[in-house]
Amino acid sequence: MREFSPQAAPVSVDVPLISNQDVYMNIAMIKEYHENMPRQEAERLAVHSLGRIGFEHIAYKRNPSLTFEERFGVMLLRAAMVKDAMILIHKPFELIPHLQDIQMITSMLETIDDLYVSCHIYDYKWMQEKYGEL
Amino acid sequence: MKTFWEKLGRAAIRIIEDSSDTIVFAGRVFVRIFQRKTYSSAMREVLVNQIYFTSVQILPVFIIVSVFFGSLLIGIVFTMLRDLGLTEFIGHVLMGLIVTELSPFLTVLLITLRSASAINTEMAVMKVNRELKTLETFRIDIVDYLLAPRVLNGIISIVLLSSLFSIVLLISGILFAKLIFGMNITVYTNIVLNSTHFSDIVLMLFKCAIYGFFITLIPIRFGLRASHELTSIPIAVSRGMVNVFAAIVIIEVLSLLIKLY
Repeated sequence: MREFSPQAAPVSVDVPLISNQDVYMNIAMIKEYHENMPRQEAERLAVHSLGRIGFEHIAYKRNPSLTFEERFGVMLLRAAMVKDAMILIHKPFELIPHLQDIQMITSMLETIDDLYVSCHIYDYKWMQEKYGEL
Repeated sequence: MKTFWEKLGRAAIRIIEDSSDTIVFAGRVFVRIFQRKTYSSAMREVLVNQIYFTSVQILPVFIIVSVFFGSLLIGIVFTMLRDLGLTEFIGHVLMGLIVTELSPFLTVLLITLRSASAINTEMAVMKVNRELKTLETFRIDIVDYLLAPRVLNGIISIVLLSSLFSIVLLISGILFAKLIFGMNITVYTNIVLNSTHFSDIVLMLFKCAIYGFFITLIPIRFGLRASHELTSIPIAVSRGMVNVFAAIVIIEVLSLLIKLY
């Protein structure tokens, strides 16, 4: 059985997207840098992953032209590209301020659950009601 | 009086510290350029993009400027040579002054104005936006991912564009040699080839590489010195550009000294 040594992969306002790179490059660079994945393959993987969460159309856009949801999705996929990723989502309602509950984020996480080992969400205690039964 | 000497001493210490920091930084980047592990797929992609932005996107403007400015320069120099009765030195002037000295200098000025300023701003903005922190968080080395491709691009771009500038100058030389001296293309080619020294070409290419290294390294260094305040961006850019121009002058003077001795 393979032993996992999870690598922390944050999704946070403090870890922004690289604004002078296309969305797909923000995602693909993790695999390209750490696993030396060829550019075309990494690009395909990034675009396919964006498609899984319904954001394929933003692959060649840049950070400033994204909505809050799209930006969150890209940050999440970037984190998921880390090998044996332990995704750490820090204050998700700061990333998507108008979000009423955690539903959208959990469904995104479920859609890409094969890409990461574990996911932890950190937020203030007083935000608890937004998380419902989670 | 004491205050004056104190100020002078502090300024001197600051300049020495700054220069030594830049040299150490240059050494770090230089060493990385020769390490195989630097050339990850991500780095290669950034390098290709950088070469595209610096060398390919600029081509139409660069060729127009080369043709216009080169023709002007060649026209003036050839006219002066004819008026002074120094026609026999046409080859030496063409190769020794215009091709090996002026074309790298003009190329580096153009690229500095266009790309070095952009790199300086880009780095400062990335620092202010905490994007460098993002790379560190994802364990991406900024020297490998951001610095090495940009510096390598500077070297490649300056060498290639300077060579292109020289070729344009030599081609416009054919036209002006015909117009001013009534010289045909065979005679012109022979004169140019007889005046060409391999060592001059090597020195020119080496100088271009040094220019390319420093006109990208210095803006990067000053861009990275920006604080997390937006107001630090213009300060970082202006300091970076002043230092780039100082570096260009120093390299030009050093290359002349090497040529003399």
